Amino acid sequence: MSFFGELTRRLSMLFHRSQFDADLEEEMQLHLELRDQEQLQAGRTQADARSATRRRFGNPTRLKEKSHMTWGWQWFEDLLQDVSYGMRAMLRSPGITIVALLSLALGIGANTAIFSLMDAVMLRSLPVDQPEQLVLFGNGTDSGISDGFSNEDLFSYPFYREMQQKNQVFSGFAAVFSMNNRIHGFVEGRKEAEPMNIQLVSGTYFPMLGVHATIGRTITDEDDRMKDGNPVAVVSSSWWNRSMAHDASVLNKKLKIGSTIFTIVGVAPSEFFGTKVGDSPDIWIPLSMQKEVPPNFDGYSGNFSESLYLMGRLKPGTTMAQAATNVNLLFRQILLGFPDAPLSQENLEKLKKTRVVLSPMTTGLSSLRRKFSEPLKILMIVVALVLLIACANIANLLLARSTARTREFAVRQALGARRSRLIRQLLTESLVLALTGGALGVGFAAGASRLLLHMVSGGQTTVPLDVSLNIRLLLFTLAITCLTAVLFGMIPAFHATKFELTESLKDGRGQTSAGEKNRLAKALVIAQIAFSLVLLVGSGLFLRSLINLTNVDTGFNRENVLRLQTDASSIGYAYGDSRLLGLYQQIEDRASAVPGVSAASNSLFTYNEGSWNTRVSVHGYDADKNRNIKHNIVGNGYFAAMGIPLLAGRTFGPQDTATSQKVTVISDTMARTMFPAGSPIGHRYGVGDPEHANDLEVIGVVKDVKFGSLQEDQQTLDYYPVTQQIRYLNDFEVRYTGSLDAVLPAVRRAIHDVDPNLPISNVTTLDEQVGRSITNQRLVAQLSTFFGLLAVFLSCIGIYGLMSYVVTRRTNEIGIRMALGAERSHVRWLVMREILFLVALGVVIGVPAALAGNRLISNMLFGLLPADPVSLIAAVGALLLVAAIAGYLPARRASLVDPMVALRCE
Amino acid sequence: MNRDEIPPGTLYLLILKTVARTGKMHGYEIADSIQRTSDDVLQVEEGSLYPALQRMLIKGWVTAEWGTTAGNRRARYYQLTAAGRKQLATEISQFERVIGAITRVIQTA
Repeated sequence: MSFFGELTRRLSMLFHRSQFDADLEEEMQLHLELRDQEQLQAGRTQADARSATRRRFGNPTRLKEKSHMTWGWQWFEDLLQDVSYGMRAMLRSPGITIVALLSLALGIGANTAIFSLMDAVMLRSLPVDQPEQLVLFGNGTDSGISDGFSNEDLFSYPFYREMQQKNQVFSGFAAVFSMNNRIHGFVEGRKEAEPMNIQLVSGTYFPMLGVHATIGRTITDEDDRMKDGNPVAVVSSSWWNRSMAHDASVLNKKLKIGSTIFTIVGVAPSEFFGTKVGDSPDIWIPLSMQKEVPPNFDGYSGNFSESLYLMGRLKPGTTMAQAATNVNLLFRQILLGFPDAPLSQENLEKLKKTRVVLSPMTTGLSSLRRKFSEPLKILMIVVALVLLIACANIANLLLARSTARTREFAVRQALGARRSRLIRQLLTESLVLALTGGALGVGFAAGASRLLLHMVSGGQTTVPLDVSLNIRLLLFTLAITCLTAVLFGMIPAFHATKFELTESLKDGRGQTSAGEKNRLAKALVIAQIAFSLVLLVGSGLFLRSLINLTNVDTGFNRENVLRLQTDASSIGYAYGDSRLLGLYQQIEDRASAVPGVSAASNSLFTYNEGSWNTRVSVHGYDADKNRNIKHNIVGNGYFAAMGIPLLAGRTFGPQDTATSQKVTVISDTMARTMFPAGSPIGHRYGVGDPEHANDLEVIGVVKDVKFGSLQEDQQTLDYYPVTQQIRYLNDFEVRYTGSLDAVLPAVRRAIHDVDPNLPISNVTTLDEQVGRSITNQRLVAQLSTFFGLLAVFLSCIGIYGLMSYVVTRRTNEIGIRMALGAERSHVRWLVMREILFLVALGVVIGVPAALAGNRLISNMLFGLLPADPVSLIAAVGALLLVAAIAGYLPARRASLVDPMVALRCE
Repeated sequence: MNRDEIPPGTLYLLILKTVARTGKMHGYEIADSIQRTSDDVLQVEEGSLYPALQRMLIKGWVTAEWGTTAGNRRARYYQLTAAGRKQLATEISQFERVIGAITRVIQTA
């Protein structure tokens, strides 16, 4: 209590300081006057009285100060003084201040922006109850549906139930479908189908996470007990806002998804985005309803229909190791206990070797993280280097400025200021500079992080990540800001306050400290050049990788192909519905008739859309049993639309019908590696075990294509006609000539002529789709190039500043040289020589550093070695060139010195 | 006239006691009163009263408010708080303990 009283009184004094001083003054004045009066009355003379009073009272100024300081605010007042002094210093040299602030704002802003993305993708904990207790089975790299025995990433629903009942280590246990169902559904009372991102979850999902609905209820285990029994849905807050405009009567509203009516029973809290970072579902539906949600997977009761991620909450006190032991014991027990377990020798061997890894799930699942954690780390290093270069620059500027202040400091020290006090003042001034730069940087980062997010997303829709400012981010920025202040402020501060007092007082230009100051400034410039070189070489490598990637032969012709997606599942076509054939045929026919269109086809995949792969058995040939073949299902015009050249045989045609011989077209690599020498045309193979080996007849071989990514090796890939394998073919590709703007509306119309309700989404071009698959390479190449150039630019400012300073100091010497007959070109060379020497030193240090650094990024490069000589030589050359330009201006100025003026100037 | 410096640490005690006696005093009165009461033996550097008063204000032993003197001048009057009275009692007993001890030492033959 008394502590707070004291604090309040101290604070109130702080806010009324001038009043306080006036009061004290008046009080003391009264005291002195009363004493004077008393002395006069005692019969002294005026002068006597005054001096006696003074003697008895003591030194009023000192006493006033002492009274003032008693309140304990001296540090604060010093700080205020230093800050205002720092502000004035900033305003006095606006040129330096603007350069310093700009480089700081860019440096700090870039660091903050990259960190905000890193925070959102990699560091932030899930917004659920005690996320550190959550563990995932496996490491979440696989997704989709598998029927392989003893999969360690994906699990079946019956397995989930068994594990949930038998485990002794989890206090809660849940399952989610390993993919989101991105479909189109209808909101009650609306005619247009809307895109919906649906996540199937077990009834235990919300309770295990400890997430409660803001309105209504979440899905419960009861909802998940009976197959197809409970068509309920929980919607996300953002979907509720977006699609229902925050309608308060959201509960019990109906959603038509596929052919089933779902009832909305709750809205999830706004901070909850599911358990996968960067992939926020709109709607959660119990796993028991999975057959009703397109594309109608039917895995609820299949013991080996493995499509789920499993996650559990560790009981308090249970370690990961204990949990892993228990889980792996049960894993074997449960799998072997299924009556339909395929217990071949091979499978038992495999089971023996399999071990389910438990991964911590504090920060949630994320495929984004796998994709971007390495690029983000590299970019973080890049921007940190840029900030260091900016710091070196500012240190140099301050160093130059402190020369001008040598006398000021000498005077202050002579008057008794302690060195620590002066250093504190200089550091405060640096901090003022840094904080201003930091504040600008935060503003800059707010825009930059949005731009970054857009670059990361790479498409029309932005990845749902929260990169807005938060406490952690601000703390990070504050920390790096203070760090930079110390980094660039320390050297000038110590330097400025270290001198021979008498020397500096005698003469404003202390010659003794100048040499040392130059050495320091030169060391800083050399460091800048070395760092810049590292960045330039890195960005050169990334750029060349990107160019290599864009020049990769994709196998298909990516130019002039329009690409969009339809969703027949949302307008009443059931899985495997034979009416799909008619729908697709009509769409292809109508689109092909559009002027400017040369071919059109539906397909299951085009490029970079995941895969469906299985083992095959080739008739009469012992092909590699463990090799998975990727499959695609296509319309007859697919190869023409994609521009994939036919190498042998024929492609699909009208003769391939549901009842005719099942046929297939295979990729060149598959033909060469899985079939006996000679033409594979007419050979037979089948999907799965050898008893199917006669199912399919090879009718054609096509050129290899890139299927998942540009970096991948040649794929073993086969194609089936949709007439013989009826599936939803959601991809639609159209080869056109002329302008896309003319073709696209006509194609849309053609599709809607067939069925006006068929939703069309993700309209793009094949070229753009290919480009999107190298988003992170492009991101890293663009950003590292930008920052590399920025680094070089900052270094140039450093060189220019240093050399201007050097030239000014040597005006005298240059004048003498010229008076003695030195040529102007000689003087120019004199200055240039010094610059080139500095740059050469920087390069000598930078090259090994760059080579060492490049090894860190070797697995992000494509088609070149980390020690790529071209990038290295180009970087060194570019750096020499711009450094020479930056240095030429001061050198020219030096050569234009008038000897007479220079000599008189001393 | 022989004057003595006040023993260290007793300034608060003197101020507290002086103010307690009259209830309400300004700085000059306090200094004057200490001198007169001690028959001009104790000499306070009068100005040092003010930093001490600030300290006591912070501690909450006294409060200050402006008023007018008999001669119609504005002056700041100090007044003891409850905490100040408690502090006075503590200081007195502490002082007596010390003085008593010193006296005993001196008088022991």
